[in-house]
Amino acid sequence: MKGRRVLVTGMGSELGSLVAAMLEAEPWVGELEGIDVDPPRRRLRKAVFHRIDANNRSHVVDVVSRFNPHVLIHIAVWEPDARVNTRHAVAFTQQAATSFLGAAAECPALEHIVLRSAASVYGRARGALTRPDESAPINPTTEFGRMAARLEVIANDVGQRAGVTVGALRLAPVLGPHVPSPLGRLLRLPVVPFSALADPPFAVLRDADAAQALVAAARVGLAEPVNVVAPEAITAWQAILRGRRLPLPLLGPEWALARRISHFVGAPVPDHVIELLHRGRLVDGGRALELLGVTPAQSTPEVIDRLYAWPSVVHVRPAIPAPWQQGLAS
Amino acid sequence: MSVHLAESSSRSVTEIPSIRRDPIAQVVRLATRPVSVVWPRPTVDHWGRDQRLVEAIAPWANLRWDVSVGGEQLLPRGGALIIVNTRRFALTPISTAFALGESLHRPVRFVGRPDTVPFGPLLRRVGGLLAQPEEIAGALRDGQLVVLGAHGSANPRYAGAVDPQLVGAAIRENAPVHVAATLSTMVSRQARVEVVAALRSRKKRRGPLAEVELAEHAQRRLQDLLDELGGTRTGVPGLGWLGEG
Repeated sequence: MKGRRVLVTGMGSELGSLVAAMLEAEPWVGELEGIDVDPPRRRLRKAVFHRIDANNRSHVVDVVSRFNPHVLIHIAVWEPDARVNTRHAVAFTQQAATSFLGAAAECPALEHIVLRSAASVYGRARGALTRPDESAPINPTTEFGRMAARLEVIANDVGQRAGVTVGALRLAPVLGPHVPSPLGRLLRLPVVPFSALADPPFAVLRDADAAQALVAAARVGLAEPVNVVAPEAITAWQAILRGRRLPLPLLGPEWALARRISHFVGAPVPDHVIELLHRGRLVDGGRALELLGVTPAQSTPEVIDRLYAWPSVVHVRPAIPAPWQQGLAS
Repeated sequence: MSVHLAESSSRSVTEIPSIRRDPIAQVVRLATRPVSVVWPRPTVDHWGRDQRLVEAIAPWANLRWDVSVGGEQLLPRGGALIIVNTRRFALTPISTAFALGESLHRPVRFVGRPDTVPFGPLLRRVGGLLAQPEEIAGALRDGQLVVLGAHGSANPRYAGAVDPQLVGAAIRENAPVHVAATLSTMVSRQARVEVVAALRSRKKRRGPLAEVELAEHAQRRLQDLLDELGGTRTGVPGLGWLGEG
């Protein structure tokens, strides 16, 4: 088991960097390499990073083939309106999946693929289960859900062709201090819109818990999909109250205007967040402990409380006051 | 290593209350303070049930019904399906779930919420589940008590048919199935819920006959219970029949 070669795609993202930092501390990891278009957000001591555009397929194939990983952790998934708009998110995710998974499939040592998927794959059509488990049918009703579903199809296809196991982690919306999240941005606005008629419950996941689950999936060789979600749930109205924001109840048609205003003030609201606010998003994460051996440490209300505890701007006082400040200090 | 970094940064985050420096946040905080004081740390459980809302509704429900519960000690600590008789146009599964929840001091769900606003989300807040076998199976697997109504009948002393598909969820999850007879009237506050021990099937079935026979067994047992309980009477000479609902 020791001395495994692990490749992390999307290492430049916050989640990817967190996973890489955790993998460096794992005793079973021998060599660790990562690929992304952006550099990692953390200081990594062991990992080797390759800054490559997913479009540059020949370069990707060269690097991945040379490394010949045993385990591939695919985190290169762009959530719509997190860092790029929906159109670009779809294109970048598709390019990354084709390029990275395709290159990994050519590696003779490859044994296992871990995939970052999303709970949105279950969709929230009328009559959809309140808390779907892993056996529930996949019926995405948003673009992010369809992206995740397509990704699972591609990974399973690669897994079948290459004869390797594939484990998809269907993560609830991931929130963390540095994770770009449209839901997190919306909830942190001074005035937050919510559905007055429905106000359904939803669950989220802390970034460190998501990273821990991805590392655990790589360690145990997860070979099936698993839902990862923080325990308990919350509604938008309750989250707004906890964050001491001003709730803005909306009934229906005015959501279009609210989305435009929210976009204008820097918090675009993609369709999967709108669906979450109108129809809720709960998933049954009961199998995570059985399959991964870990469960999220923070509950949904705790993650939401942390969301509101982040300072907008951290003012750091200098250890040695500037000359013009010395008079003020005395 | 990274976890330590994240935790230490979160600690410093909580130590620096940005809200003090942000005038907009201060105004919003002042504006929402009255609501926050009334309902300071609200949450719903992982199925969307809001215990505070249930507690807020309970006194109003108690104005309408005075429910006495019997046999609740027979229910297991884990998940179980409780089948109740239902009078047409009555909210029997909801009132039974409320009464059992109050008596057992644990959440009790009921089957039969719609998935449309505004009633669907509202009923989900008080413990409603969709009438789908997978939904019931998920709740039973999660160790929840689930109240399922038999088909409504015009006569409150007649047990309607039980949906075999919905009962099949309990068989698949290997959860016990109890029946509970309920007696209530439209003119009186008095109501009764009587739970009996889990049903035992005499024959082991491997196929779909298992749920059909269990559903029929539940209906028969419910009918026996209703016959044993007798009807409710108003106690007013000449108008006793009104109590029959």
